Amino acid sequence: MINMSTRLTSIAAAAAIVLGGTLSISTAVAVDAKVLEEGKTLAFKRKDGNCLACHVIEGGEAAGNIGPPLMMMKIRYPDKAVLRAQIWDSSVRNAETAMPLFGKYGILSESDLDKVVEYIHTL
Amino acid sequence: MNMKKMTAMLCLGAIVAIAGQSVFAAEKQAAPKAEAADKAAAKSPESSGDNAAAEAAIAAAESARKKAASVDGEWRDTGKMIKKAQAALKAGDSAKAIKLAKKAEKQGKLGYEQAQAQQTLKMPSYLKY
Amino acid sequence: MKNLPGKLLLLSVVAAIAATAQAASEQPTPERDKEVFENRFKERFPDVAREEFANGVYAIDPIGRESWEAIEEFPPYELFIDDGKEMWDAPFANGKTYKDCFADGPGIAHKYPHWDKEQGMVMTLPLALNQCRESQGEKPLKYKKGSINNILSYIAMESRGEVTNVVIPEDDPRALDAYEKGKKFYYTRRGQLNFACAACHVQNPGMKIRSDMLSPALGQTTHFPVYRSKWGTIGTLHRRFTGCNKQVRAKPFKAQGEEYRNLEYFLTYMSNGLTLNGPGARK
Repeated sequence: MINMSTRLTSIAAAAAIVLGGTLSISTAVAVDAKVLEEGKTLAFKRKDGNCLACHVIEGGEAAGNIGPPLMMMKIRYPDKAVLRAQIWDSSVRNAETAMPLFGKYGILSESDLDKVVEYIHTL
Repeated sequence: MNMKKMTAMLCLGAIVAIAGQSVFAAEKQAAPKAEAADKAAAKSPESSGDNAAAEAAIAAAESARKKAASVDGEWRDTGKMIKKAQAALKAGDSAKAIKLAKKAEKQGKLGYEQAQAQQTLKMPSYLKY
Repeated sequence: MKNLPGKLLLLSVVAAIAATAQAASEQPTPERDKEVFENRFKERFPDVAREEFANGVYAIDPIGRESWEAIEEFPPYELFIDDGKEMWDAPFANGKTYKDCFADGPGIAHKYPHWDKEQGMVMTLPLALNQCRESQGEKPLKYKKGSINNILSYIAMESRGEVTNVVIPEDDPRALDAYEKGKKFYYTRRGQLNFACAACHVQNPGMKIRSDMLSPALGQTTHFPVYRSKWGTIGTLHRRFTGCNKQVRAKPFKAQGEEYRNLEYFLTYMSNGLTLNGPGARK
């Protein structure tokens, strides 16, 4: 049921965006194991997401602690879009953030950022 | 935008959503458009011969880099990207040159904006004055 | 009587506005900056004695400290000190030596950086050494790597025990301006990763980035030049600045250029009162 309602919300969101004339879908990938695996790789790699520099993640080694551990993400971010926005530009919610602006400053491409969001949201 | 196109896009949106892809955030707009443009440039058949466009893109990138540098806001890799773009152009790959130059131009603009936004020093709140 | 509370409120609002206006129009003094800066570290590390901050991250990292103390038993910078002494003593082509430029040398590290009124700029030790060389007809040394670190190591060793004491002279407003520029540099976010120096070393010291603990800004200037295991050799303060800027993906500035000299002026001022203990050894 949770899945179903998420899907419905997504459909609504997609429709709204299309009707608003600002379609923003880059690639039509399914959230399958491959996407999650790619997201994880991007999240762990130093040159890409490097989330482990500051966040503890289950299964990640040598993690830092500048930011909070990435866990219970579905509870903390019921809306995936909010999580995405936070990773895209964390300074919107906190001007004094120590987190890089992964989307706004192009550290991750939009499609890579999508994959990272998918993975982080499973934590 | 015509009706047919819109319907097609709506369908695409729905398919993607059903597949579970996340769709969101107004911020997303700008960048994917740029990416799409890059892809178009890469695929366009005449682009490999389009040296003038590549030269223009490199010039635009260089001026954005200089503008960022003028306010001490230049990023580390911007100059390198421009050099790579120039090398790609020399090697005849103008599509790659344009892609790199666009990326560099974006960095130049962002670095400039980043510095300009902090023109006046604002002490962080964790320092208790 | 009915109006009294209202009037009082009005009065306090006016007073508050006036106070804010005053605060906004006046930059805090360097003394005030330093007080607030030190309080930050006192608050964050209440059990660490002030003098301990001269030991950098090892003041707050007991595990790292153990291996650091072991390294200090056979200091990796010793050879550089010996080579530096040779440089200090060896005559230039014209027969003169460094001593002819620095009569009170070699223990002079605590006199830098200082405001040079005549040249209208912050004078650092490496820059002064090169100005000396050039005045004696010698080629200047490179500012980040290489033999400048030898003579800096010798001078640092000879200056151990002296106390950081950067002065911002009041008779030249340009000195305060240089300090303010250095301060602005330290608190300005830069690079693709959008970090200010302060984000790591004032906001988050003691936290870990991967497995490395972030060092406190207080005390960051006492131990240069520094032997870094990561470099496998010894390097200058401005080399370290360069590395930090690159790490946040900002284009680094020129070693001994105005930006880094002003930064050094501010940052060293923040450590006033701490004992010099260079050369140092770090991860």
